[in-house]
Amino acid sequence: MNLGDAKGPQVTIRSIDHERKQLSFILWNCDLAVANALRRIMMAEVPTMAIDLVDIEQNSSVLVDEMLSHRLGLIPLTSTNIRDITYTRDCNCAEYCQNCSVVLTLNVRCDSDTNRDVTARDLISTNPNVTPYFSSEEDAGVVICKLRKGQEVRMRCIAKKGTSKEHAKWSPVAAVAFEYDPHNKLRHTTYWVETDALKEWPVGPNGAEEVAPGPDDPFDYKAKPEKFYFVVEGTGVMDPRDIVEKALMLVHAKVVFVVQDLQKLKW
Amino acid sequence: MNNNQPDRHELFLIPEGMSKVSMTKDSKIPNAATFTILKEDHTLANLLRAQLLKNPKVLFAGYKIPHPLEHTFVLKIQTTFETNPLEVLLIEMQTIIRDIMDLNKKFQNQLTLHGLEGGEFGGSRMDF
Repeated sequence: MNLGDAKGPQVTIRSIDHERKQLSFILWNCDLAVANALRRIMMAEVPTMAIDLVDIEQNSSVLVDEMLSHRLGLIPLTSTNIRDITYTRDCNCAEYCQNCSVVLTLNVRCDSDTNRDVTARDLISTNPNVTPYFSSEEDAGVVICKLRKGQEVRMRCIAKKGTSKEHAKWSPVAAVAFEYDPHNKLRHTTYWVETDALKEWPVGPNGAEEVAPGPDDPFDYKAKPEKFYFVVEGTGVMDPRDIVEKALMLVHAKVVFVVQDLQKLKW
Repeated sequence: MNNNQPDRHELFLIPEGMSKVSMTKDSKIPNAATFTILKEDHTLANLLRAQLLKNPKVLFAGYKIPHPLEHTFVLKIQTTFETNPLEVLLIEMQTIIRDIMDLNKKFQNQLTLHGLEGGEFGGSRMDF
């Protein structure tokens, strides 16, 4: 990789781990602001589906209604076809409709002497594209609550499209690892030390990508970060490459939207 | 709701009659202006600021978010006499657009290199 002759921001994919839903890549020859915008958008502005309203018909479980609704909201719903769904705020309907929401029903009653786990497997969706996410056939699903004999939960959950700057339940990522300058050459961070920072702070796996400074090297106060190590770990609702792709398009859309308005102004 | 929780749509919706971007020329400093951009945060603000500072014609570029509960930022720009803040802002935003489109293409190429087709979007769709 030669940083000299490249024009504009560059990207190099390091690995894709489908099982763990991880995509690892390096963004280089690019500004910290661009990398950070991408990171922030992946975490907060890529839309997904999540349960947003719950109509509770019957709840005799030990959990209160609010607790149950909160737990339902946090269940990951597959969102690969998210663009087919509009935001409720942009939809013409009065409250919610097929175009802007998906109804999931939960109807479980325990009649046996053993406790019954109510899991995401019990949620029945009206839209095959928006269902609870399971990592495999064997995945038992997220436990929502547990029922004793005679207890029952019966509810209608309305899933809506949203972004996680409104509520974290809409986040498509579990985590976005972001690192630059593994040797702290730029001194953007100050290590807390007992005696020796080099001994107490081992260099991470990205340290091998960059040359470590010698102990007597002068501090380059003009240096700028230029390589950014990302690991995008999805929640499973969306392929990590879709998350990155959409985030890029969202940065683009954001700027375009402002440019359109800016062009109307006169100096 | 009878509490003082802000409405959820306040994060996204530009109030009626308001424009996404507005500009106020500085009354004392020549070639300086303040842009107010509604419903945006550090993501865009810092991106613009950093890009503007790369331009040698820009003498000053900085932003602030005046209040943490209001989803708005103000961007202050001062330029040399050769140009004006509105012009440089437009030019630099075009640069960002180009860079991002370019980056997207490179990302697609990298996916192909790793034996993967781009996601179902092919990296060009603008609806989310």
